[in-house]
Amino acid sequence: MLYLYNDIVIYSGSRTVRYGGCPRYGGKGGGEMQSFPDSLVDLKSQGHTLIGCFPLYPPLELLHSFGLTPVVLWGLRQDITHLTRSDRHLQPYACGVARSLSEFVLSRGGELLDAIFMYNACDTLRNLPEILGSSLDRHGSPIPLFRLHIPAVPLSRAFASDYLNEGIRELIGELEKFTGRSFSAQTFLNSTGLYNRQRRLSRDLERLAAAGRLRFSDCSDFLLSAGRMSLDDHISILERTIREFNGRAPGHQGVRIMLSGILPPPVALLDAIERAGLTVVANDIAALRRSYDYLPAASADPGAYYQDLYRNHYPCTTILPSADSRLETIMQTVRESGVQGFIFVGEKFCEYEYFEIPAVKRMIEAEGVRTLELEIGMDDALNLDAYQTRIEAFAEMLLHETRGSRRDNDAV
Amino acid sequence: MMPSEKKRGEFKKNTSGKRLSTMIMNDYLDLHRRAYEGAFVVWIAIIVPAELFGGFEKVVYAVPESHAALCAGKGTGPVLCEKAEGFGYSTDLCSYARIDIGTAFDGGRDSPTFGLPRPDLLISNTNNCSLLVKWFDVYHRAWGVPHLVLDIPFCYENQKERDFRYIMDQFGTLISTIEEMSGQRFDLDKARESVRLSSEAMKEWKRFLGFAAHRPSGITAFDSFVQMAPILTSRGTRRLVDHYRLLADETAEQVKNGIFPVPGEKYRLLWDNIAPWHQLRKMSGRLAGLGANITSASYTYCIGALEGEYDPYEFDGNDPLAWLARLQNFSVCPHGLNLRGMAMKDVIGRNAIDGVVFASNRSCKVYSLMQMDQMRYIREELGLPCVMIDVDHADVRKYSEETAFTRLEALLEMIDA
Ligand code: SF4
Ligand code: SF4
Repeated sequence: MLYLYNDIVIYSGSRTVRYGGCPRYGGKGGGEMQSFPDSLVDLKSQGHTLIGCFPLYPPLELLHSFGLTPVVLWGLRQDITHLTRSDRHLQPYACGVARSLSEFVLSRGGELLDAIFMYNACDTLRNLPEILGSSLDRHGSPIPLFRLHIPAVPLSRAFASDYLNEGIRELIGELEKFTGRSFSAQTFLNSTGLYNRQRRLSRDLERLAAAGRLRFSDCSDFLLSAGRMSLDDHISILERTIREFNGRAPGHQGVRIMLSGILPPPVALLDAIERAGLTVVANDIAALRRSYDYLPAASADPGAYYQDLYRNHYPCTTILPSADSRLETIMQTVRESGVQGFIFVGEKFCEYEYFEIPAVKRMIEAEGVRTLELEIGMDDALNLDAYQTRIEAFAEMLLHETRGSRRDNDAV
Repeated sequence: MMPSEKKRGEFKKNTSGKRLSTMIMNDYLDLHRRAYEGAFVVWIAIIVPAELFGGFEKVVYAVPESHAALCAGKGTGPVLCEKAEGFGYSTDLCSYARIDIGTAFDGGRDSPTFGLPRPDLLISNTNNCSLLVKWFDVYHRAWGVPHLVLDIPFCYENQKERDFRYIMDQFGTLISTIEEMSGQRFDLDKARESVRLSSEAMKEWKRFLGFAAHRPSGITAFDSFVQMAPILTSRGTRRLVDHYRLLADETAEQVKNGIFPVPGEKYRLLWDNIAPWHQLRKMSGRLAGLGANITSASYTYCIGALEGEYDPYEFDGNDPLAWLARLQNFSVCPHGLNLRGMAMKDVIGRNAIDGVVFASNRSCKVYSLMQMDQMRYIREELGLPCVMIDVDHADVRKYSEETAFTRLEALLEMIDA
């Protein structure tokens, strides 16, 4: 959904609360709800050429430098509740990200997307291009598709970085043909600068949430809205939001917890987490911190830039060479942020995440941090009561332990 | 006894069946023995080119997927899956992985081969699926064993030249890694000989599969499922060539003598997905009772051919690494819908297939998440009846025989209609 904040349209998971107009922040109200497709309609009407990108970490800067507006097709679950079209193509054991992405592309893609980009992020996504492409062709609304294979071996190996360079060069050639523009090193440099600005601001906003100046659920909304608006708009929203919340006094801090997963949990669950007295002070969410934590050096050379970005990316279950550093990074965050609880937000059927959960869980629990596993499937988004109960029980346990340890400290 | 079952009883399994069991048993015994004697042990994903290990004096390899299939076939799949689930691994993960993790973290108990010898090196790849990388990472973390990944770009069209070069470069890394870790030198000529033998074995394999074109078919796909096992334990060896030559010769002899696995064959079917390891005997027997023979399977006809093709890709005697690199996308999972459709269309024509069984397998999403479209293609473009049944290849707990057979019988009715 989207709402207006000082005349700027902002995506918000599924809630009616809104900054500026949000009662809990004392705003004056007045917002317009918009679905994800509607937000793309708006962008199109403003003259944007939209390129729908498969998750997780597409080369946004390069697409942007060709005058395209990339929108990453994840987090659509709240807007896509019926899977009429995608269910004709995908069995129900595909993850919710792939199913809702497919539904969107098949039902509205022809009308809203000018192009699609995908890379080898995961096994499920790699199976989709032909499925979607042939269906769109059959329905008379073909969409040009661009692909890139990002090496799944360390880019420190010369042949792997050469291979990536070659792939990027090929992609540039295809984008030149598609847009009728020539690649411009200067424009690319500007785009990298803008995306780094967005990353920096995203990290700043996240820090404000960790400090209790705004709720994590709201912070997450602001950050996810990046995929539904132009980069400039998102940057200006982040700047204004940060200005506004910087001045606010920290709110009540509950028990400190960290979230991990592909997407943040549905808004109702984030609300339940916060209502239960837990404060999200850190996250290892692919659509959030994993996406913006690393700032590559600005560069006019796409090859060099993406070597740096993908080589030093914040570890992710889908970036295979980052496996070794992932556990260390999580552990470091757990320690630095002093969390007492850790919630895995499992994306049902995402094997990438599920293979790693046992190892991460063992490591964190050995540190004395409590863990909770939630599993969010396509249908669960509509039926969250059972999860709320589990969150409340988890919170109670953590609160009880916190009080207990305070008492122990007092006694000492 | 059903008449067809009686007739089926006349079908002699010939000596290849016995030879196969002995061969597999010896392969696993040999693996354990050589590992015990100090050979360098590599665990590999199925498509990792094992022929390269033939270029070393003392390198042995084990294939966890193949071992998991063996466990599933011998009925220990569920107990091993449960162990992995007990260690925290989700029931939604591939059942091969769960069986293997259950075996590895419980000291090989409940495995018909007493598990696999501890690896010195893990080599996974991304071509069949990248979850193999995640699966091998589990051991890499638990045991501190180095893990090398081969990254094989997916083929939407035939393998590209630059993808081929990328794969060749990675073979170089693989060889130098083993050389460094094992202290052994790689001998290209020995590897060439392994490749030559593999190529020869694949020709015999295809000769064996070719008897599915006979009416009635000289084989069932279930025979091919069972007989593919030594490709994963004896690759690049003379004994593999000999085994497949004899297998094809014996099958030819039976066909000549009018002995067929489903003598009253009325329906000739094609199977799309991994073998239902826990159902081989039951499913083939029950289908035979209905006059149906699954004669062909994408899982086994892809072996030895290039992506999207059927005929074997023959080794020209030159660069063995080039032959292996070019074949890296052969199995169904690492290539796309169009290529899958091309090969299936070819086999449907060659083997006069009447209907296709798409085994939707939630354990193997890479194989399965294209089947609805492929089914549409076969139905609409080739006009063949199709059915989709739910089968987990190695976890029998996720399979309902009655539900599957209701659909299979519906397929036979569609063929009759
Ligand atoms: S949730 Fe997992 S399986 Fe699904 S698209 Fe994302 S990475 Fe792939
Ligand atoms: S998911 Fe499929 S391809 Fe991957 S290991 Fe399992 S069975 Fe093999």
